[in-house]
Amino acid sequence: MDETALIRNAQHGDLDAFNTLVLAYQDIVYNTALRILGDEDLAADASQETFISAFRAINSYRGGSFRAWLLRTVTNACYDELRRIKRRPTTPLEPETEDGDEVESPRWLADPNASPENQLDQAELEHAIQHCLENLPTDFRAVVVLADIQGLDYAEVAVAVKKPLGTIKSRLARARLRLRECLQAFRELLPAAFRLEEERDL
Amino acid sequence: MTTPSFRDVEKLSTFLDGHLSQAENTRLEARIRSDPSVAAALADLRQARAILRRTPKRHVPRNFTLTPHMAGIRPPVPRLVPALSWASAMAMVLFVVTLGTNLLGQLSFGAAAPMLSAAPMTNENFGVGSGPAGTQAPAADNTQVTPTAEAYIMTAPEATAPGVTRLLPPAAVSAEKAAPEPVNIWLYIWLGLAVMLIAAALLIRQASLQAFRRKVGGKHNP
Repeated sequence: MDETALIRNAQHGDLDAFNTLVLAYQDIVYNTALRILGDEDLAADASQETFISAFRAINSYRGGSFRAWLLRTVTNACYDELRRIKRRPTTPLEPETEDGDEVESPRWLADPNASPENQLDQAELEHAIQHCLENLPTDFRAVVVLADIQGLDYAEVAVAVKKPLGTIKSRLARARLRLRECLQAFRELLPAAFRLEEERDL
Repeated sequence: MTTPSFRDVEKLSTFLDGHLSQAENTRLEARIRSDPSVAAALADLRQARAILRRTPKRHVPRNFTLTPHMAGIRPPVPRLVPALSWASAMAMVLFVVTLGTNLLGQLSFGAAAPMLSAAPMTNENFGVGSGPAGTQAPAADNTQVTPTAEAYIMTAPEATAPGVTRLLPPAAVSAEKAAPEPVNIWLYIWLGLAVMLIAAALLIRQASLQAFRRKVGGKHNP
């Protein structure tokens, strides 16, 4: 059954049809939440909340990119969660020692000599990206996650964050600039990632 | 060579995604070729985008499919169920009203009994005071001499003259038993009706629940 038919059936209350859509989109929803929130448990909760809200509001979907419509819901859920965390912070963004002091060099900022260059794995890259994303303002973070990590086009991002195209272009440019500066600090730690890009540019 | 302005960076970022107009594209390509700082800025943006695109994808920790409970779906209630429940409630109300009336009747009768036992006009109070019953008054009076009401009840019919007895059956002979009987029948009718209606409502509800569970799958809890 194609997506349009599944959405139509879900709009008539068919939960099985909606759950088929959930299975198709849960990866992108969860990964978007994970990159915006930076926490697996919070991302899982936000994803579940997204699908519950989406089912209840599915009749407000009037066509266009269903992916963008769904990602608007998850983006809102993430904003809500971030606001909640800001009001009641429970865990520090940076790791702490037993004495409660922040660790200045978390695992992904460890001495690069500790890891042979050719053994830097995906986890290091992921940690570096997540660290830099979390240094961005939330609005910029959402745009860059949707456009560059999830691969949405500008129109879809505009739908997902409810902003005009001009704002999306501007935020994306700023976010890319700031991420470039942040990631530059990891250049020695992540030579493979940078080298691959330089080779591609040639 | 000049440092690109933010407007240039924004254009370069949009250019990178292929969202500039043809005319803007041509102008920017010329600047990229002629100005190394613009070319360097473009390279930076491209590198940032490329690294972000390589962000590892995580597997979902669990499926996020919804159960009917999570989706807020409740099993449908057949229209007959509320109708039957309402009818059952009405039957119960009638039962209670009838029971109350009956009890009140018995209470007033019970309260009247001692007075009657002390009064000489007992049979008149049972609705036999008129006509030939009046002739019975002296006989009844005689029986009232007995010390207890029970004794009177036991002896009164015997003391009644045969002619009077024939006239009394509808009311006096069974004054205690016959009067509440019609009420008792209605009590049984209302109670039985209420039980049957609520049982029917429960059965229909159960059947519809089972049909709903079969439809949504046994793993879901409604």
